[in-house]
Amino acid sequence: MNMASTVPVALRDGAGDRDAHDRVVVSCHGLKRSIGAQVILDVNRLRLARGRIYLLSGPNGAGKTTLLRVLAGLDRASCAAFQFDGEAIDLAQYPQSVRRRIGFVHHHPLLFSTSLHANIGYGLKAAGVARAEAKRRIADAIEWAGLGGLVDRPSRALSAGEKQRVALARAHALDPVLYLLDEPKANLDERGREMVTSLIGC
Amino acid sequence: MELIETTRQALRLLFAGDAELWRIVWVSLKISVGALLLMSPVAIAVGYLLATQRFPGRRIIVVVTQALFAFPTVVVGLLLYMLLSRQGPLGSLHLLFTQTAMMIGQMLIAAPILVAFTLSAVQGADARVRETAIVLGAGRWRTALTVLTEVRFGVMAALFNGFGRVISEVGCALMVGGNIAGMTRNMPTAIALETTKGEFAQGVALGIVLMVLALGVNFAMSWAQGAGAQPQ
Repeated sequence: MNMASTVPVALRDGAGDRDAHDRVVVSCHGLKRSIGAQVILDVNRLRLARGRIYLLSGPNGAGKTTLLRVLAGLDRASCAAFQFDGEAIDLAQYPQSVRRRIGFVHHHPLLFSTSLHANIGYGLKAAGVARAEAKRRIADAIEWAGLGGLVDRPSRALSAGEKQRVALARAHALDPVLYLLDEPKANLDERGREMVTSLIGC
Repeated sequence: MELIETTRQALRLLFAGDAELWRIVWVSLKISVGALLLMSPVAIAVGYLLATQRFPGRRIIVVVTQALFAFPTVVVGLLLYMLLSRQGPLGSLHLLFTQTAMMIGQMLIAAPILVAFTLSAVQGADARVRETAIVLGAGRWRTALTVLTEVRFGVMAALFNGFGRVISEVGCALMVGGNIAGMTRNMPTAIALETTKGEFAQGVALGIVLMVLALGVNFAMSWAQGAGAQPQ
């Protein structure tokens, strides 16, 4: 990836399954976001392959979060050509179908003030997944994130690390092809970092 | 010691289940709760849209809404009277001096309060609530419902505030209701008019009911605001 912003942002192609699914999930050219006259994001070319883990690094204000938010459809940006999973997408009318295949998790994730089950099942309900199927996928996600012991706790009583894992499970339940994680290990203690590491694999 | 005697009579009216008195209370509650139930879905939707959408004229609508807070209810009554009176543009509906007219008046009075309180509740919501709903694939309706659920205490404060305003409102109810016994006589109009006819006991009894209601609503409101202020 080339980022033409004034502050360099590096994208490191790290660990991950290199052989199995070397298919492009995201490709775009000339991605640009401006606020007023100020260009806050300017990416020449971006290409993300399936099954890989990428690390986006750069100083504060370089546009790391903005890039993730643009890819998740939260911030508007212009783009010469944007393809998601082989499908050309108009970023100005970011379609719902793409949203459901992307798991975006905030820097400090927010849990709804409902039960843990309802949080994890939120996206499934929005997607109209049948009740029995949703129940199964919620149970799977709870097991995947090792949240079994926390299901009866109110969401506001969870620690930062636990919240992070619930948010990951909530994204995982939708089985996305692309996870966009904004500093998933920031502000966690060592144990929290280890648990998140084991979930996201880096 | 007329004061003590009046209070004694008032309490007797209250606890002996005086039919006329409780009929007045019932008319009051029916009209005010009805007005809120009818107005709140629209007003909450408008408040939500004003908080979340950007469109030309939005700022003006917000300012006007807040200015309408202080709109004299008797002027709302006057305008409604002119609309509904026999020569008025809506005279053919024969609504003047009916409970429906009073309800319409209270809906108009409650609307700016409901809109402004919902607006500030939604604006005060964490931006991540809406964003999380969106990235999890929620459509517009589900997103709105999720945000309003997360700020439910603020929305409840809007309802309590609106209720507190309309239940004790006298100007508009008097003008478009007419204080007709058993029909459009509610607590404020009964107190205001019957007292001048020397019906002190009834006025005091209704005053007690109204005060208990107002205090109850205020307690509920501070509870709602306190509960809403709890950290996530």
